[in-house]
Amino acid sequence: MTFTTRDHLKAWLDGLTDEYDLVAPRDVDGKVLYRPVASADDVLFDYERPELSAKDYLFPATEVLLRAEKQGGEVTQEEILPDRKQVIFGLRPCDAHGLAAIDALFIQKEPSDAYYRHHRQRTTLVGLACPQMWEGCFCTSVGGAPDDGTHLDVLLREVEGGYTVKAVTEKGEALLGGLALKEQDGRVPKSAADAEQVPVTEPAKWRPLFEDEIWMRHGERCLSCRICTYVCPTCRCFDVVDRVTGVREGVTHIERIRVWDACTSPNYRRAAGGHNSRPTKTSRLRNRFYCKFCYYPEDFGALGCVGCGRCVVSCPVDIDIREVMREVAGAGQ
Amino acid sequence: MNESIITGIREKARELLESGQVSCVIGYEASERDGARPAFIYDPADVDRLVWNEHCVHNLVTYLHDKKHSQKRGEDPPCVAVVAKPCDSRAINVLLAEQQIARERVFVIGVACEGMQNGTGEPDVRCARCSDRVPAIYDVLLGEPPEAAPVEDDFADLSEVEDLPPTERLAFWLRQFDRCIRCYACRQVCPGCYCTTCMFERDDGLWIDAGVELPQKHLFHLGRALHLAGRCVECNECERVCPMDLPLSLLNRMLMREVESLFDHRAGREEALSPLLFELGEEGSPL
Repeated sequence: MTFTTRDHLKAWLDGLTDEYDLVAPRDVDGKVLYRPVASADDVLFDYERPELSAKDYLFPATEVLLRAEKQGGEVTQEEILPDRKQVIFGLRPCDAHGLAAIDALFIQKEPSDAYYRHHRQRTTLVGLACPQMWEGCFCTSVGGAPDDGTHLDVLLREVEGGYTVKAVTEKGEALLGGLALKEQDGRVPKSAADAEQVPVTEPAKWRPLFEDEIWMRHGERCLSCRICTYVCPTCRCFDVVDRVTGVREGVTHIERIRVWDACTSPNYRRAAGGHNSRPTKTSRLRNRFYCKFCYYPEDFGALGCVGCGRCVVSCPVDIDIREVMREVAGAGQ
Repeated sequence: MNESIITGIREKARELLESGQVSCVIGYEASERDGARPAFIYDPADVDRLVWNEHCVHNLVTYLHDKKHSQKRGEDPPCVAVVAKPCDSRAINVLLAEQQIARERVFVIGVACEGMQNGTGEPDVRCARCSDRVPAIYDVLLGEPPEAAPVEDDFADLSEVEDLPPTERLAFWLRQFDRCIRCYACRQVCPGCYCTTCMFERDDGLWIDAGVELPQKHLFHLGRALHLAGRCVECNECERVCPMDLPLSLLNRMLMREVESLFDHRAGREEALSPLLFELGEEGSPL
């Protein structure tokens, strides 16, 4: 285990910007968000949980998959893949855990998703452990911890006067080349995993509860907005649409884009002809929870929840995933 | 005060459900995290879940849209009761005028309002500029209207933006819209946003595509504000629910002020359509 100071970290980060796109927590009009930064001076080092996960940088909310041009009967197409390498700095362990959950579908199951895989390969994850658990957090209930480095390439933990530095992967080791390090002198990192445990019910025990009154009770309150799915580090549903971006000098410019979608949205399950197999808020909200704790674990082997607590604190009508998890555990007794 | 209102809400709810006058009472229940949250009561045995306190910020009128269609084929739409603050009640008037709900199918449990609080115990931002103590429409009124000196919205925050030169004003708004994640929470919570298919979410939309980028977000927020002009009841739920803290009330209040000065119309004060969206100009009108 090695140690570095914040000044050395900043110098190292500034050095990385020549070769890498750097994404880090920053203050955006009072909100802490993972955002591109040009200089380490823009990076926040003391922050809680960014308002949104970092999935946008591997699975963008809007991603151009290809561009096409049509002139008369001639159509040319160009696939779009960014070639710059990327470092996400200050990633919270739950957000790295969320990417591991997305990997289960997009990479570990064939056919793998070429775009996501490409972003994953070009990205190095430098995490900063949480010194404590924040409002709504329950990572320790779903296989994580505030200082869990498992899904990161590098794990930093704050100690008095600086940070301990641990390379978790070879990719992380390679990135640390330019960072001034010395042996750790026994300073102890701050970390507290102190949140109440939330029970996780195994998939098979969810099945008999499909018609339970739980879903109506919470679902009726739901607004069918997309907050919970968009703030979630593991939600990965998307739609693909084509758009005409302009017609210039007889050439029609077309883009095929992938955009985030949300199972809580009323038209998510609308099919050709207009039929909607999840026409009610109750059926949609139920699906969100079943996806996380029943379908996704069964189909892909990973829980669809990393306990980041974002949906808990951002739901406008207090639909609290922890409350649902407790009720499901109770109903299954 | 709260105790007598809570008793009143529960008694009225029990009476309405037991008599069969309504099949559902939409009110508030206790919430560990937020202090209160929306609740749907169908069984008289459950009325004691209903509460009233300074955290009842939600505008429950938005849920009437879920109740305006028959729940089973061949049946009439259900009759429901809804707990309404003064600002919420104005949304009922808007929906009545726009023929979205039938008066005889909604029982309004009006509550005299002292104003709500935000999470830190301060008066909610919307309440700090509101003097309405009594709902504009109700079937029963609970609580005594508190004596309070009338306050007027001074639009000070709006003036700050309006006083900016146009390029800086645009920059201000683009900076706000840039944070938007297009989660549609502002639209979903709004009692006035009830189109079956939102024009910003059409598959064949000519105006806007599905991308979550600045031009789409810009158009969405300006378009939504215009659609609410003369219809927004200033409940400010859109701003409350926004996970990115967009100052949406600046847009809504700016248009509200314009409509009031041109047409002497304030949405929902009585059952009347917005003159801006629903009236053609006649001689002498500001149009």
